[in-house]
Amino acid sequence: MTAILRLESRKRVRGSVVLIVVFAVLAALYFSMFPGIQEEMDVFDDAFPEYMFDMFGIEDLHTIEGFIAAELYSFFWSLLLAIYFAYVGAGLIASDVQERRMDLTLSNPVSRESVVLQKVAALWVPLVALNVGVPIIVYVGALVIGESFNPVALAMVHLLSIPYLLVCAGIGVVLSVVVDRVRRARSTALTLVFALWLVDSVSRIDLDYEWIGTLTPSRYYEETDILVHEEYAFLDAGLLLAVFLVLIVVATVVFTRRDI
Amino acid sequence: MCAQTDVVETNSDRDAATIRLDELAKHYGEVTANDAVSFDVHAGEIFGYLGPNGAGKTTTIRLLLGLINPTSGTADVLGADIHDRRALTEVKADIGYLPDSLGFEERLTGQQVLDYFARMRGDERRAELLELFRPPLEKPVETYSHGNKRMLGIVQAFMHDPTLAILDEPTSGLDPLKQDRLHAFLENERDAGKTIFFSSHVLSEVQRVCDRVGIIREGELVALENIDDLLERGGKDVRVHLAEPVDEERFTTPAMIDVETVDRTVRFTYTGEANALLAHLARFDVEDVDIGDPQLDDIFKHYYGGSTLGETG
Repeated sequence: MTAILRLESRKRVRGSVVLIVVFAVLAALYFSMFPGIQEEMDVFDDAFPEYMFDMFGIEDLHTIEGFIAAELYSFFWSLLLAIYFAYVGAGLIASDVQERRMDLTLSNPVSRESVVLQKVAALWVPLVALNVGVPIIVYVGALVIGESFNPVALAMVHLLSIPYLLVCAGIGVVLSVVVDRVRRARSTALTLVFALWLVDSVSRIDLDYEWIGTLTPSRYYEETDILVHEEYAFLDAGLLLAVFLVLIVVATVVFTRRDI
Repeated sequence: MCAQTDVVETNSDRDAATIRLDELAKHYGEVTANDAVSFDVHAGEIFGYLGPNGAGKTTTIRLLLGLINPTSGTADVLGADIHDRRALTEVKADIGYLPDSLGFEERLTGQQVLDYFARMRGDERRAELLELFRPPLEKPVETYSHGNKRMLGIVQAFMHDPTLAILDEPTSGLDPLKQDRLHAFLENERDAGKTIFFSSHVLSEVQRVCDRVGIIREGELVALENIDDLLERGGKDVRVHLAEPVDEERFTTPAMIDVETVDRTVRFTYTGEANALLAHLARFDVEDVDIGDPQLDDIFKHYYGGSTLGETG
């Protein structure tokens, strides 16, 4: 019984391709900028107040690792891609319920649990596409401008982002089974993910409030630590994975009990 | 002897029931969508579920498919209790469902939609059905007319050769030719031993194809009868325009009820045979005549009043 997985996977292809193209364009932009501004990074360091760097976890901007971690991963990967996964997750169930597609889907001999799991499983498409495509683009891009990445660190920045992105998708999926209108599910999910990211970022400014960020998923995925310091927080990733599983269990339990 | 036969019949009825509703109720806050509805649908019959729009027909169907949970009461579908999600999921391999509003993946072509459902429950009769109902399979569903979507829905509902088909307003959006084709198809299926549960707000359609009918109004089952009884009660709305004013006494026959005469026009509900009516009318100088189906609401008013099943019985 993989018909739903197949269909849902197909539906994720277009978005995944668009996102790879977006990241390719961004990577090209930043790699072409880097040689020119590498020497002036000290100016940046002086020009911006310290808290800006704390907020985004920026370090070592004059190295390619620090620069790409700051420009590409701390914002576009950790926030925009997170929002994309939350958005997709929020649409998985709610849009089918709203458009009455779920009536026909559930007229098949397929359980509601299976519907949720197959739809979530279809997230393999953007996860694999982006986490294979983007590191290759970044690795090759660095070589083109005469720099290089530690391939292990680059692989890790992607591998360890998967649980983080899954948690964001999980937040969307929970909203998708709770909220009937797909637009409201999506807007709530992306607002929530953005707010969590913001709370994490802002809480880093003041040590007294830094603990607040421990309740946000992005605290458990530190792109700069991975790329610059080559520190791989497997335990944090495991924690995120556990949270994702809990979110999917909650979503499944709610969905099997509710009216559609 | 007699009592024994009764018992046997009751038992065989019980075995033959494909759908059984037992005091099935669904409330949405203050609104009662289904109020303790009970009836059986027997194997091998076309059961019409008749009621005006908003009466609660779709609610019953969605309860039977486990899409919504009953507030109270229960139902069996092909032997599976609707509260037993696992059992209900299993029997769905043997159910065909045509919803009232068809939600397909709009970007897929008709062909791809059928392939998708085929992977979940088979499609051994797809080719045969596509000879009768021909949606443009190579085009994306988003370009489909209402009628084409309905045809695609009919094909997906029957292509896995289900023993029970649950059809919610199946002819809505179909042109008259396709409606006749569907009616003929349903009769063939019934003759082949299949069970059809068929909701409609069109009396004439139910009269034409159904063996038994349950009538629902405002969430309550107000009548459950054989189609012959309903035919007797149904009657026709007739409006006759005569060349000259006529004496109502002379014109009226016992088969006419609710006769209203305004100048040269007579309106009435005719409950007798068509031939007798035509022979009767031929005795007058008729300029124009209009014979149509009575409005469901009129039938309810005439025959069921505001009462429930118990009170009419």
